[in-house]
Amino acid sequence: MSRKRKPVTDIQIAICGSAGDGTIAAGDILKRAMARAGYKVIAFDLYPAEIRGFGKCIARTRITANQVYSMKQKSDVLISLDDSHAIPHVDEVCDYGAIIYEDNPMSKVEEGGHISGHAAPAHIPYGIPFREMSERATGSARSRNMVAVGYIAGLYGMPQKIFHEIVTAKFKGKAAVVTTGNIAAFDAGYEAGAATIRLDFGVLESRSRRRGKADLVMMNGNAATVRGCLDAGIETFFGYPITPATSIMEILAAEMPKTGGRLVQTEDEISAVAAAIGAGYTGARSATATSGPGLALMTEMLGLGTIAEVPSVIFVSQRGGPSTGMPTKTEQSDLNLAVFGVAGDGQRIVLAPTNVEGCYKCAGKAFEMAEQYQTPVIVLLDLYLSNRYEAVAFPEKNPFVRKCSKGVSRRGTGSPYSRYAITDDWVSPRAVPGTEGCQHAITGLEHDVFGRPNDQAHVHEMMSRKRHEKLEAAINHPDITISKRFGDRGKVDVGLLGWGSTFGEILEAMFVAQKEGIKCAAMKVVMLSPFPKPAVVPYLDDCAEVLVPELNYEGQFADLVTSATGRPVNRLNRVPGTPMRVDEILAEIRRLADGAKQMAAE
Amino acid sequence: MSEPLHYVIIGTGAAGTEAALHLRQRDADCRITMVTAGRLLFIRRYELPKVFDGVEDWRELLVYPPEFYDEHGITVRRNSWVTNVDPERRVLGMRHKEEVSYDRLLVASGGGGYIPAGLSEYRHLLQRFATFGDAIRMRQSLPEGGRVIMLGADMTGLDLARKLTAAGFRLTVVATEQLFWPHEVSPRKRTRFVKALVAMGIEVIQGRAVAGIEATNSGGPARRVVMDKGDLRGDVVIPFFGLMPTLDFMVGAGVDIERGLLVNPQLATTDKNIWAAGDVCQIWSPEENHYRFYYGWKNVKMMGRIAALNMTGDNEAVDTVKEEDLFINANGEIDSPFWEYD
Amino acid sequence: MTDIKKPVYLEEKLEEVTQSGRLEYRSKSLPTWCPGCGYFSIVEGMTAALNRLQVQPKDTVVVTGIGCASRFPFFVNTYGFHTLHGRALPVATGIKVANEKLTVIAVGGDGDAFAIGGAHIPHAARRNVDMTYVLFVIVIYGLTKGQTSPTSVLGFKTGTSPYENQDAPLNPLMMLLSYGAGWVGQAYAGHPHHLADMIHQAIAHRGFSYLHVLSPCVTFDKTTKTYKNLGVMVRDLPEDHDDSDQMAAMGEAARTEAPAMGVFYQKDRPTLGDGLQEIVKRARGTRTAGKRRAARQAAE
Repeated sequence: MSRKRKPVTDIQIAICGSAGDGTIAAGDILKRAMARAGYKVIAFDLYPAEIRGFGKCIARTRITANQVYSMKQKSDVLISLDDSHAIPHVDEVCDYGAIIYEDNPMSKVEEGGHISGHAAPAHIPYGIPFREMSERATGSARSRNMVAVGYIAGLYGMPQKIFHEIVTAKFKGKAAVVTTGNIAAFDAGYEAGAATIRLDFGVLESRSRRRGKADLVMMNGNAATVRGCLDAGIETFFGYPITPATSIMEILAAEMPKTGGRLVQTEDEISAVAAAIGAGYTGARSATATSGPGLALMTEMLGLGTIAEVPSVIFVSQRGGPSTGMPTKTEQSDLNLAVFGVAGDGQRIVLAPTNVEGCYKCAGKAFEMAEQYQTPVIVLLDLYLSNRYEAVAFPEKNPFVRKCSKGVSRRGTGSPYSRYAITDDWVSPRAVPGTEGCQHAITGLEHDVFGRPNDQAHVHEMMSRKRHEKLEAAINHPDITISKRFGDRGKVDVGLLGWGSTFGEILEAMFVAQKEGIKCAAMKVVMLSPFPKPAVVPYLDDCAEVLVPELNYEGQFADLVTSATGRPVNRLNRVPGTPMRVDEILAEIRRLADGAKQMAAE
Repeated sequence: MSEPLHYVIIGTGAAGTEAALHLRQRDADCRITMVTAGRLLFIRRYELPKVFDGVEDWRELLVYPPEFYDEHGITVRRNSWVTNVDPERRVLGMRHKEEVSYDRLLVASGGGGYIPAGLSEYRHLLQRFATFGDAIRMRQSLPEGGRVIMLGADMTGLDLARKLTAAGFRLTVVATEQLFWPHEVSPRKRTRFVKALVAMGIEVIQGRAVAGIEATNSGGPARRVVMDKGDLRGDVVIPFFGLMPTLDFMVGAGVDIERGLLVNPQLATTDKNIWAAGDVCQIWSPEENHYRFYYGWKNVKMMGRIAALNMTGDNEAVDTVKEEDLFINANGEIDSPFWEYD
Repeated sequence: MTDIKKPVYLEEKLEEVTQSGRLEYRSKSLPTWCPGCGYFSIVEGMTAALNRLQVQPKDTVVVTGIGCASRFPFFVNTYGFHTLHGRALPVATGIKVANEKLTVIAVGGDGDAFAIGGAHIPHAARRNVDMTYVLFVIVIYGLTKGQTSPTSVLGFKTGTSPYENQDAPLNPLMMLLSYGAGWVGQAYAGHPHHLADMIHQAIAHRGFSYLHVLSPCVTFDKTTKTYKNLGVMVRDLPEDHDDSDQMAAMGEAARTEAPAMGVFYQKDRPTLGDGLQEIVKRARGTRTAGKRRAARQAAE
């Protein structure tokens, strides 16, 4: 054990309880307060598949001084609001980490049912009478969660006043007694925590509260996606509820009408994407959001969007599959479906952001691209990214271009309007319904330049080429990171290649490997289709070994990379339903680095 | 195969831990659970004064690292309070409303600092020195070169006193009849030993009684000890009046209790499934024909070992003859086998 | 064809058609339907209705799924979207939601609508999307060359029912009535003038209108719903039929042995667009109220 610890703030707090315990709310207050207090915060909540009462919720919050990119494998603190749910998570508490729990439950506990009997010898237990404290402070046991948050805040000397602000803001609009009750419960916990000599070793340096700079907003991937939609000027949205994409629709339902936007909950995913394409056909910026099973239903319609060249944006938050799979677990196994899932040759644009800010960027840019290249654009998220909170600074100026459509120059040129005219950039001027003199029909049938059904060889050859060629320009679409390299420059022993939410863990592993002296780099690929070969191939050339860690069994991204570049890659595939473990990536890096060194020696 | 036996040990100090270690050696398959009110694993309590030398990390005080407990398959329930023992059903009632069943129980809960009735109303003004947290608090309330007023001054207290003096703090001992407890010292020897204390730089006040304790906010030291004549000022007031066995949870368990839990030289109580070891038990001394306590690290460890042997079928007796005396060592300082630790 | 009482001369007809302005609505593509197909009279009726309503071709979108009927957009000079099998209604809904100014007409056949697309009809009806759904019912799959459809009669012999169809047919009119469609009517391709009038009424209705058009499949159904048979079966709705009486409409719709022509039911109620507008109003109202409250608090 290292006796000399550099005091660098890096605390991960897990709050675990039943759906009805206010677990997520407690985590929410913690992360927002700490972000406002000037810390870097990243958080990931897990919800139960069940609706209420029995399901397990875990709210994990990682509070750091320096920017980090993933959750830690081990938490420094576990707060149990329900021992039956929290006991299986005792193992995730680091050595000399704290376990905080109810010391005076309402009723008798079965032998072995209390978490104090499960704490490992290296854990520091803090048994606290949450229930009594809540009752004393508010007259009800309901605010146990606030007592618990208060206790941890007091124990670590977190800024009490900021918590008051956050609690006040959270319950704004409810009866005043709700706010005062929650603050009283928080304070009771805070006082008890502050009076406790802390025996665990988490470090929390004090921070000066951010002032002047643009406010950091605690936001999860779905909320950032919504903000991207709104800033890009979304006009219509059609959706069908499905975990873990539902909150995109829910937030849009509240926000869109404020700017005149229209949202309809359709009867299924097929209708959702159909309506989005219908709206896209009229020139409106439109979108839908779903998960893997919904995307499977949408593929036929997406093929129509491709052949009819109609813009639409499809947000897909992946979960464990196939079929209904694991609705509340994260996975990255819909890459193939997103990139290749279509009848016939139906390439489309697929973007996969790697962090919350990326969700915002990709969401907005997806609308630009859909419009500019007249195609469906899939933005591929996953449960981890959808629900993961990060402190994000949004640009002061709206970064998205509102009109990207290549319109018809003027009406009535004498010749009939040719909707699918072949042009230099393969994108045809588009007239939408309401445009005088450009009436035409579009179709899912192969068609000539006028849109008339036509299955002649030369027509299908030309139109297939047109539909693929026009997308290539997306690789150079302005103001969006399509791919990016991190870490050591030049030749490296191990080069990581990643996509989606797992890139956070990849970066963390890379930083550790670099510290260990391994020549190491990492590249994220945000645009999965069309594949950004011009950036990826030179990177692969720099790497003695390439490692592709991803949360799927088949190595879907690894396959994509190999088929696009012809280069072999090493795979690290895991399907635990939870984020990739940094230590597992690290072990692979070390192994490959050793191999690379031996190769060099021979 | 029969179910492995479940041994439960109340107390994680020298006696309890030594017992656990020997239980494991004697029975590879048994379940061992230790229960303690403290948050920490077994620490060297006598090294707590190290916090005054700037030790921040309690892990330096651990007798065994956490892995020891994992390797030996010992569950340590910390921050847990036993409220009652039901020898009929062989269960412990816990404050957190869980019942823990046992096959064989060892009570090794030690003793807490005894506070005379006259001082109990000033409890909140008294510093304690039993846990790491107590030590940290004491350090926080003790300025550099600050003054500690020690009441009673048993051997545990004097051990602290000599370490505090060495660390540059000023010590005032208000001597009572518990001075040098558990050693019983003749008046002649007592005079000699007090002189030695004074030579060690400790102010010793004798023959005066404490009338009360006050908190002061007027600047200067935070405590005033009101005496029958004249007052004392100090930053910390700390009582050391000897140990009181921690036994409240055994009341009603049907075993014999006097001041401590009464056991025979084999450390068995009057219940066939319950043994006791360490500062909590009063052992029958056939030689002296009465029950007596045996204090000190080494004695306590020895009791833990013997209890474990007997709980697993042996019939060893505690050596109750050995005498331990206070003496003045070569440096002219007070010393005692009580302070012999490993 | 029974309502054509006097002889028609080609020159006179051409003159009439050219003058009428209906040709504006016709595309230059030649229909791919079989000669004698009832769909010709539907195109005719549609263009006539649009012309009469003075809806501009540029402001009209015809949306279809897959099937013989779904080729419709290629033969009219409006905007058109030939989509996927069964999905005309959701696409049309998206178009209407995005641009309320457009006149949206969905056209389909009974397989497209009631087999693969069956899930969408109740929702378009209950949401009251302001559009018209013209359904060409030929009780058979034509484009795939003759298989049973959800409206095929029991005992019908087709390529996929060589031992005769054993599945009972649906009653689309009763379905639509129970879905809460705001306008439900029936017409017959053999009565083109009445058909044109019904299409006119259906488009004119504000809200979701469903027009059930009986038409023979002259190529693949030579036995059941032929011009000859249909001509005998159809009847007018009773003179005293109350088109605000949903239960009476259900009663008439139940009589499949004698299909009634006319408007079964009509009722005005808020459309999907009205609802969405209301939502926008409320969302904005809340926001301004919030702002006002904030301003007041700031002032205090």
